[in-house]
Amino acid sequence: MLLAASALLLGIPAAATASAASATTGTGWIRLAHLSPNTPAVDVYLYSFGNSNAEIVLHHVAYGTVSPYEEVTAGDYSVAMRAAGASPSSQPVLSTSVTVKAGHAYTVAGMGPESGLRLQVLDDQLTTPPGKSVMRVIQASLKQQTVKFTCGGQTIVPKATFGSVSAYQAIPSGTWTMQAIGSGATATGRWAMEPGTVHTMVVLDGTNGLEIVNLVDAAGAGQPPAGGVTTGFGGTAGHGPGSPAPWLALIGAGALITLTGGFRLRRRGLRRQLTIGS
Amino acid sequence: MPTRKPAAIVFAAGLVVIVAGSVGLLLTRHPTPALRPVAAGVAALPAPTGPIAAPPQSAQPAPVASPVSLTIPLIGVKTQLITLGLTAGGALQVPSTTSVAGWYTGSPRPGAVGSAIIVGHIDSLTGPGVFYRLSELRRGDDAYVKRADGTTAEFRVTSVQTYLKDRFPTQTVYGPTPDAELRLITCGGAFDPATGHYLSNIVVYATEVS
Repeated sequence: MLLAASALLLGIPAAATASAASATTGTGWIRLAHLSPNTPAVDVYLYSFGNSNAEIVLHHVAYGTVSPYEEVTAGDYSVAMRAAGASPSSQPVLSTSVTVKAGHAYTVAGMGPESGLRLQVLDDQLTTPPGKSVMRVIQASLKQQTVKFTCGGQTIVPKATFGSVSAYQAIPSGTWTMQAIGSGATATGRWAMEPGTVHTMVVLDGTNGLEIVNLVDAAGAGQPPAGGVTTGFGGTAGHGPGSPAPWLALIGAGALITLTGGFRLRRRGLRRQLTIGS
Repeated sequence: MPTRKPAAIVFAAGLVVIVAGSVGLLLTRHPTPALRPVAAGVAALPAPTGPIAAPPQSAQPAPVASPVSLTIPLIGVKTQLITLGLTAGGALQVPSTTSVAGWYTGSPRPGAVGSAIIVGHIDSLTGPGVFYRLSELRRGDDAYVKRADGTTAEFRVTSVQTYLKDRFPTQTVYGPTPDAELRLITCGGAFDPATGHYLSNIVVYATEVS
């Protein structure tokens, strides 16, 4: 809901958040994350719906870990979390279902405190306005319940509460200093936001105070070229017979020369006859 | 008597020109058949040796070095990669010679998250170019990009598409992707002798494998 609303605000149709390329191959992407600060490491399982053999298993996923995207066939899946090392056949601590649409990407994250742990499915954006970068903020710090997030001195999220996910926002490309400012701690980092890239900035509890992790959700040509490319001169293409005019002109010229020669021959011949006759 | 000879030579030369013109006319009445691609595998190259780099992580991904060469064993492609930008009109530049391919510097580096764009010619005015056999690639075929730091990224073809240039799907080809992908682009389809251009583009989509 929040995502759709922000997409409208930014003037990006919500449907355009997908990658059109993979829509043609019928696949989407999924990545798994552990963002619950006081929950011990878990094993994360991804099942194709109704199949008891896991398609992907990630072992000992600790707080702050985000897996790379896995390309999966579009369809229904379920994600289960078990305590690290628990038997794959044991009852999961938590599970949720996710429908993967072709050309779409999702983050399935364990969020909230251990007592209220939940699996949240996030629809990840795969488009940017031309020449810009987009970013959203996940606030996963329990020690600093409310955090202000800034980029280049501009406030991106004024009050990010623990366990919240902001909408994506377009930002000008460039290298920016970003800050997560809590009441008792601040984290600062500097990142290059290339045009055509989509980022998720995750605010975590670090060993000392706060930490910011920069996730690259997607990247493309920052300035997409206009149209196709001109990469052929036709040297190997089949081609038509071309104009017959040059050849016809050549035959005409030949006829003219022949006539000239023939005419001269005849004239000499006549003159000789006349000489002999007198 | 000596005046007769030059006239006879002119007469004979005229006949020769007529014959030459007629032969030329007859020979060009049949369209030249297009050169057919050599059978797949004939010019196959060995896959590059050396370590294959892992696909990027989405959290704080390690920087990826610039691409320097491209190998596609199945279709005998082994080329240096030059760098390409945009023309004043905003279109993609193409390599100035038809024997090398180029990487668009405005796209992600091959092996980094995103869709890296590599472009090459199908032919020159006289013969095949570096991507002459690109359309022979099929899902599952491999392409390798070597980077300036000596590492190699391995890509596997996921689909091969032909698009009319006036209906080129810019977002599909150049838009962001969440994993490391490659787009290999050349010309194809019908050739229009009036404009000197092919009417379509062939786009090979590939994804990095670990």
